[in-house]
Amino acid sequence: MKKTSNFKSYKKEIMEAAHDDRLRLALSRAVKSFRSNVKNALEKFPHTVDMAEEVRQIKEGAITRMEELARQAIAAIEENKGKGYIARTVDEALEIIADLTGTKKLVVKGKTMTGEEIGLREYLEEKGNEVYETDLGEFIIQKMGSRPMHILSPSIHVPREDVARLFSKIMGQEIAPDSDIADLVAAAREYLRDKFFHADVGISGANVVAAETGTLFIIENEGNIRLATGAPPVHIALVGMEKLVPALSDAYKVSEVTWRYANYTIPSYVSLVSGPSKTGDIEKVITYGAHGPREFHVIFLDGGRTRLARYPKLAQALYCLRCGGCLYECPIFAVTAGHFGDKYFAGIGAVWAAIINEDIEKAASIAYTCLTCGRCRQRCPMKIDVPEMIIELRKLLAEGDSADARN
Amino acid sequence: MVGISTDIIYAAAMDSELVPPGLTYLADNIISRQNILGVTKEQSARWAQNLDLPRQAETIFFAGCGYQFSAQLEILMSLARGIDKSVIGAELPMRFARFQKKLGLNLPGIYSSVLSRGSETEVKPLEAAVNVLRNLGIQPGYLAEEEPCCGAPLNHAGLQTKFADNARQAYDKLKSFGVKQVIGIVPYCTHAISSLFPLYVDGYDLEVRHFLEVVAEKIPSYKLRFPRKVKVTYHDPCQLVRYMSLVEEPRRILGAIEGIELVEPDWTRGEWATCCGGGGGFETVFPELSQVLAVNRASELLETGAEIIVTHCPGCIMQLKDGLRELKIDGVEVLDLSQVVATAMET
Ligand code: SF4
Repeated sequence: MKKTSNFKSYKKEIMEAAHDDRLRLALSRAVKSFRSNVKNALEKFPHTVDMAEEVRQIKEGAITRMEELARQAIAAIEENKGKGYIARTVDEALEIIADLTGTKKLVVKGKTMTGEEIGLREYLEEKGNEVYETDLGEFIIQKMGSRPMHILSPSIHVPREDVARLFSKIMGQEIAPDSDIADLVAAAREYLRDKFFHADVGISGANVVAAETGTLFIIENEGNIRLATGAPPVHIALVGMEKLVPALSDAYKVSEVTWRYANYTIPSYVSLVSGPSKTGDIEKVITYGAHGPREFHVIFLDGGRTRLARYPKLAQALYCLRCGGCLYECPIFAVTAGHFGDKYFAGIGAVWAAIINEDIEKAASIAYTCLTCGRCRQRCPMKIDVPEMIIELRKLLAEGDSADARN
Repeated sequence: MVGISTDIIYAAAMDSELVPPGLTYLADNIISRQNILGVTKEQSARWAQNLDLPRQAETIFFAGCGYQFSAQLEILMSLARGIDKSVIGAELPMRFARFQKKLGLNLPGIYSSVLSRGSETEVKPLEAAVNVLRNLGIQPGYLAEEEPCCGAPLNHAGLQTKFADNARQAYDKLKSFGVKQVIGIVPYCTHAISSLFPLYVDGYDLEVRHFLEVVAEKIPSYKLRFPRKVKVTYHDPCQLVRYMSLVEEPRRILGAIEGIELVEPDWTRGEWATCCGGGGGFETVFPELSQVLAVNRASELLETGAEIIVTHCPGCIMQLKDGLRELKIDGVEVLDLSQVVATAMET
């Protein structure tokens, strides 16, 4: 039991959110368009449904051998002249990344849930670095000093007028509150542009990793991750160990199912990164750091994942693709957004809070907030049974975590 | 776990401060009195007084708590919501049971005064269901004050050890009365007896069916007519639709009734129905938030233009009525499916 939170303030936060009409409106619009987009995407590519079943099997197999896959991936990455690490704990991961980064550096970051999980940005800032979130939503959140409210759309709760006000302040130029969204996007693009090219380090996560080749698959639409992982001389990737699958073809399937259930027929970009940038064009001498990064580091974070894998009913939380679909189906999320959650949101967030974060009070708050209505399970491509996990977790909370709950 | 008495585990759980008191309140009542409100058993079987149901039969009707106590639960909830919204607000519903004592509220007293008023409203769906079954040629028995509690809220609170104990006792009791088949009606009870009991009971061999299944199977050969032409929408209770896969049955039943036009929300129907906000005792833990969700669900259903909202769960009925009340909607009724079928059989 590392940290404790308090139910009183949690509940107050939840109720304030539930009475926030603007939040409600933003969410209800998002839910509508998400549902119709997913429907279209699945109608257009109906094979995705069967592929999701295949992916569930891939994940079931992979979760039982995360360690082995991580070692295999590290070997492959090192063969490609990158460097791989297994971080047992959050502190270890932070230390590895902080050592690689150093201090007084300019860092550009793509969105990474795992980074959020370990508080990476804050840690690097504490170490005296200047860190920029480059995903537009994350950038807004960072500058607002707030926290993400959705795993795919972190700033889902912020209306455009607030963005205009915020940008005027940080960019030192007046941006009218009634500006077009396109103008807001252009302003962010201009502001961040030279950060990418002056950055010392680029940081990303990955949606899935193929162990056989050490290849990271990174799905995105904005193009910020391509820049953040391509322009700076050093690329550091932080990946949860549950993201590993054996083969390249497995990783492709995971990716396709992920973006489809994340409401895209096809995303604008999928980057496959397996090593540092290199060229042999001058006298066939392989030289690293051509146009892309000279250094490539991948940190595989355990941080409680192997522990979680030992709970028969809770291990399914590790199959999650982070498509975000369940959040749009959760009736509580629909009125509170990420206030119902911890590092990860809604019902499944309780499992992460309990076993990964070991924040028991928080876990209890979330676990007893879940309605166990089961609509998330209906949506989930991995058929993760959130109500089943919630009831199991309540049992652990109420009756204690005995050894027979684990394998 | 061997060697540790389940009472010790239970006592520790109730003290753990992690289980919300709203749920421990229900749990305590189940353990001490075999019903969620802790009223006496005699009070609870009253709805069936004039029905002359046999006390012993191979096939029994399992009434459960929800419908029987809906009037009392409504009172409990309006109290809880009042407290939840008041200045003292935030932490209280979590501490509801204790707070109730501090305030000197005598809940059992309030409940029995409702009961003695002989309020009609809460018994209707149960009576209607029995009448429907009889009209379909089924003569179920009813254990009345001997009916055990399914204990579902224990499971929801995380008190599995107690739930398992209760399941075994309840099962033995049913068996001791010679029960072979159970027709359940409250979604939580029916799911608990049919799907959760077998996890804890050795040699389980009860045949459990939900009222909807029984009715849907027989209904096509009956002529049914609602007294007037109405637009009706159906709200799927989570337990029925996503735990017991009863999607098509209620629709087949409503479709067989002349005069009823079924109008449903575009998206949030069947497996995609939105929870009314009363899932698994949630309303006792987050009374106010639960009401926000009730209002949301009621609004979704109202968009269909229906004059009657039909559903099939005592919790959903309470929530949806509350939602309509908050929205200040008059003229839209919330009815249980059993009431609708019973009415259509009379005409
Ligand atoms: S639990 Fe399922 S639906 Fe929710 S984010 Fe994960 S994969 Fe998507």
